[in-house]
Amino acid sequence: MKTTIVNFRYFCLFSILTFFLFSINVAAQSDTGDERSFPIVVVFLLPFIVLALFGIIWAIVYPLMFLWGAVSSSKNVERMHEDANRRKMSLRHRRGREILNTIDGGYRRNASSVGLVHANGVFGPSHWHLMIGFFNNLIGGSVTVFQQVISAGRAEVMQRLRDQAEAEGWDEVINVRIDTANMTPQSSNSKNSVRGVEIFAYGTGIKYE
Amino acid sequence: MEQVVNGILVVNTETIPGRVITEAMGVVSGSTVRAKNVGKDIFAGLKNIVGGELTQYTELLQESRNEAVGRMVADAISIGATAVVNVRFATSAITSGAAELFAYGTAVKYE
Repeated sequence: MKTTIVNFRYFCLFSILTFFLFSINVAAQSDTGDERSFPIVVVFLLPFIVLALFGIIWAIVYPLMFLWGAVSSSKNVERMHEDANRRKMSLRHRRGREILNTIDGGYRRNASSVGLVHANGVFGPSHWHLMIGFFNNLIGGSVTVFQQVISAGRAEVMQRLRDQAEAEGWDEVINVRIDTANMTPQSSNSKNSVRGVEIFAYGTGIKYE
Repeated sequence: MEQVVNGILVVNTETIPGRVITEAMGVVSGSTVRAKNVGKDIFAGLKNIVGGELTQYTELLQESRNEAVGRMVADAISIGATAVVNVRFATSAITSGAAELFAYGTAVKYE
């Protein structure tokens, strides 16, 4: 996104410059009495003007969104984590025990029906977090901002798996696996790629006889 | 409750709890590559500035994963299996906005 905004600025400048150059040219031509070339030039420049307007709007909106992210993103991540933990504890209180197991064969009684349960979520750090992460990288050590985003996302996805299992009527989920996949590959050439991590949890739901 | 997908039992455990496997029939797999439309990509890009969950991509991956499982099940039906055990998932992002979802497992017959 940072490179996009720079590109947009150059593009905007370039468009305005060409517009002025053409206007001067048109003014010079209209002095000589050739008035028909003016509308053609405007039609030719119209897409440039529209793009330049988009560039100007983006240059205003992006810093505002960035600041909004700086103010709210850390708070939102914490709130998401706390909310997931609260729902987890309330479900554990209601059912009397944790319903997710990572062991294969953690069931004690005969199963009457089994099936696949899965839940996922894509979570991304804000651009403010990316900036803090960049400075953390320079100093070294643990990059706490990314760790917070990913652990909050993982807590949320685990809770979604529990909710899903409860909604489908399973008594327990065994052999739970959690996968994490990067949504932005290093090989991708696109400059304005979305930065995010997909967290995916799946397991086998069991209903007892 | 979703015990079966098109009459095929799908689990990610090595055995089927409460049932006996009689015959292993080999690996079955299914994959999809999906992309979201440009509008939702732009919206996800804007959401990315502020941070948090990117709902568009969550939905995209959920849909594609269901499709991959569906294809795996179709593969299992075509060789005459009654269940797929030990299902695993693999995800790879080809570019930002397009993802390959791959589901594989062992097709079996059970009593």
